[in-house]
Amino acid sequence: MQKTITTTLLLAALAACAPVLADEAASSAVAALGERIFHDTSLSSSGKMACSTCHDPASAHAQTNDLAVQLGGPDLATPGFRAVPSLRYMNLNLPFFFANDGTPTGGFTHDGGAKDLVEQAHTPLLAAHEMDNVNAAGFTARLGRAAYAAAFRAVFGTDVFADPERALLAAEYALSEYQNTSREFRPFDSKFDLFLQRKIMLSAQELRGMVLFNRPDKGNCASCHTSTRQADGQPPVFTDYTYDNLGVPRNPDIPANADPAYFDMGLCGPFRTDLSARTDLCGQFKVPTLRNVATRHVFFHNGVFHDLKTAIEFYVQRDTNPSRWYPLDANGRVHKFDDIPALMTRNVNTTEAPYNRKPGQAPALSDAEIDDVVAFLKTLTDGYDPITNSADPARSARDVKRGDE
Amino acid sequence: MKHRILALAIAACCATLALPARADDATLKAEMDALRAEVAALKAEVEQMRAASAAPVATSKPAPAVNAEPVPALAATTAPAGGGVDSGYALGANTTLWGYGQLDYNRPTARPADARADLTRAVLGFNHVFDESTRVYGELEWEHAIASADDAGESEVEQLYIEHALAPNYGVRAGLMLVPIGLLNEHHEPTQFYGVERNFVEQAIIPSTWREGGVAGYGNTDSGFQWDIGLVTSPDLGKWDPTSPDGRESPLGAIHQELQLSKAHDLSLWARLNWLGVPGLNVGGAVFAGKIGQDTSKQFEGDANFPADNARLLLGETHVRWQSGPWDLTALYTRGTISDTQDLNLGFLGQPTPVPKAFWGGYAQAAWKALAWNQSSLVPFLRFEAFNTGAAYATQPQGFGTPALPTQRVWTAGVNYYLNPNVVFKFDYQDFRYDDELLNYGNRFDLGIGFQF
Repeated sequence: MQKTITTTLLLAALAACAPVLADEAASSAVAALGERIFHDTSLSSSGKMACSTCHDPASAHAQTNDLAVQLGGPDLATPGFRAVPSLRYMNLNLPFFFANDGTPTGGFTHDGGAKDLVEQAHTPLLAAHEMDNVNAAGFTARLGRAAYAAAFRAVFGTDVFADPERALLAAEYALSEYQNTSREFRPFDSKFDLFLQRKIMLSAQELRGMVLFNRPDKGNCASCHTSTRQADGQPPVFTDYTYDNLGVPRNPDIPANADPAYFDMGLCGPFRTDLSARTDLCGQFKVPTLRNVATRHVFFHNGVFHDLKTAIEFYVQRDTNPSRWYPLDANGRVHKFDDIPALMTRNVNTTEAPYNRKPGQAPALSDAEIDDVVAFLKTLTDGYDPITNSADPARSARDVKRGDE
Repeated sequence: MKHRILALAIAACCATLALPARADDATLKAEMDALRAEVAALKAEVEQMRAASAAPVATSKPAPAVNAEPVPALAATTAPAGGGVDSGYALGANTTLWGYGQLDYNRPTARPADARADLTRAVLGFNHVFDESTRVYGELEWEHAIASADDAGESEVEQLYIEHALAPNYGVRAGLMLVPIGLLNEHHEPTQFYGVERNFVEQAIIPSTWREGGVAGYGNTDSGFQWDIGLVTSPDLGKWDPTSPDGRESPLGAIHQELQLSKAHDLSLWARLNWLGVPGLNVGGAVFAGKIGQDTSKQFEGDANFPADNARLLLGETHVRWQSGPWDLTALYTRGTISDTQDLNLGFLGQPTPVPKAFWGGYAQAAWKALAWNQSSLVPFLRFEAFNTGAAYATQPQGFGTPALPTQRVWTAGVNYYLNPNVVFKFDYQDFRYDDELLNYGNRFDLGIGFQF
């Protein structure tokens, strides 16, 4: 609460110090500063890490390597705790709230701990395993030496660097403006978008995959990854911004998991602390957009899988073939839901399709049907070129930027 | 084929009802002459009252169609055999307060855990007469007892319009009005229909209580015709949610706007013609037609392609009702189409509820006032309904088409017990052709209480 008030006051102060922000041109200047900050590796203790290092536009603003968690800090050797989410379409997200039926909804980062894009930028700038500026003073010292420091002063006030908290917040605000205003973060130019616009037709396999994706008795993917337009005509973002507990297997590639007492439980902690008493929410992570999912290098919050087909196989075979996904315990039994404390395993979603099955039953999707769903999901990649029938998020970012110019 | 059988049944019903009228023309003519004499006498009385008082005459009739229907035919063509007495509470010389309420209990025989008791509706209405030719009419409703952000109830304005009589037998209205289609939509008070719940056809196909905002004209002729025309807001196809069962329960109920910040780029027309020339008989029909895309494609930045901007709705309805002695016989058929849904549904492939291109329903009902004493009466009834909210879907690429939904058929047998014409207790049993838990379709017992004042 205190942090919220402080943030609000600081934003108000920023507005007062920089009345020029009121017009569109000034907003554009803020966004331009945000773009420079986004790509500036000098703002990290290593001098080699920027926002774009992990959120590369060419990789749909997500990671470019196969690591489960990225390495940051002064020597780029300090491991993180969670896989990198894509920033594409993130500006369409909602602030965190509980819906009328109690469903946690919205919020930024895997656990919704950040209420908006401004807050979302905070942790990566300071965290020891990321850009490692430690505090506002550390960040502001580096920002003050940036090539665009004068432009930063011109926009946010000549004395902005005298108050590190204010300067840090101004930088976070600039980053959020960049993401909010640049269409490279929401190009809506995938093959599926062109299909929705009736400019092209999907192949028979892609259509089959779409049907399987939507059907409540098959993939049932659309029950969380919304595939229909919103009432205002906005194309689908393939998330309903809610949270779910899928019982994803523990990933030994995350160094923190070497401690058997350590569990990343999403909404109820350890990074988010305001819902730690809500043990019923333990293990729930935010439903991500599936746009550009075929370009991801790792899947789920802990990056445990490395290809899309395996991730879908996990969905449909988790309960029919649990031995494929979980280790054996000391008694030789499958230790299902091994990345959640034993008392919390009841929180795992076992009621909805395709999880509502038992060992030995047929999975909701056959191998061929999974291939169809993969084919459909590939139509969600930005930067589709109908001539070559290929998609490239980098092309999308380039074209949008050219359009913006 | 089944469709045709239902249409033939309705036609046969119409023919059967019409025969006695032809067979007994002399008696009817005598009755008509007597009624005309009564009307003339009443007109004379009204003129005398007008002359005696400068104050305007306030009508106490709650039903909006009152001024549009020939007076002798009103009670006999809009109310069930046991009820429908006009009432209301006069608040001064110019304003009348009226209302009705409905409380239901439903108990599915196969799923007793789904039994529900509900204060279905509580309604207050008013009628304020400004002068001899102008009035404002309103209906305010609360559904399911409690309406708040955390409760299931709804609070709504069902009607609010100004009516101005241009002549004794025709006039204009403007505001939020009930669509004059079918028999129930305008006369939906629980004393006005048989059975605890409104019939399915006039909920699933005609989404009672269906209202739109706009302007309308109404009138009647000496020969017994009642007519209505209107230019009003349209449903909004952009509201269609293919993941929800709402569109399967009632296609138009899922997309009508109820003048709640209604998108108004596209408008619709309605027209109705009834013939009430024979006491006790109401035969006629209505259409509602218009575009329903609402130019949705222009509403989201950069993605100007809602694929059903040109979609059109056409809903037609025909009915006959014959009230004679203790009998009250009704048949109604309605069918709707929505065009240009092919591309929209292509984006919904695999979703449970695509947009239908055709939907229809019909029912036949017989009620018999078996007992009557003092102001009370006992009216058993039997109703058969058939309806299909997804009778056909637009063509899709080979192998990806949507099959038509199965036609639902419901038999309802029950009794309305009128303690007096304005207070009714109801009981019925409903037998469904197939269960549908999602839509709450399944054999059940129903109990109900209704009243109006």
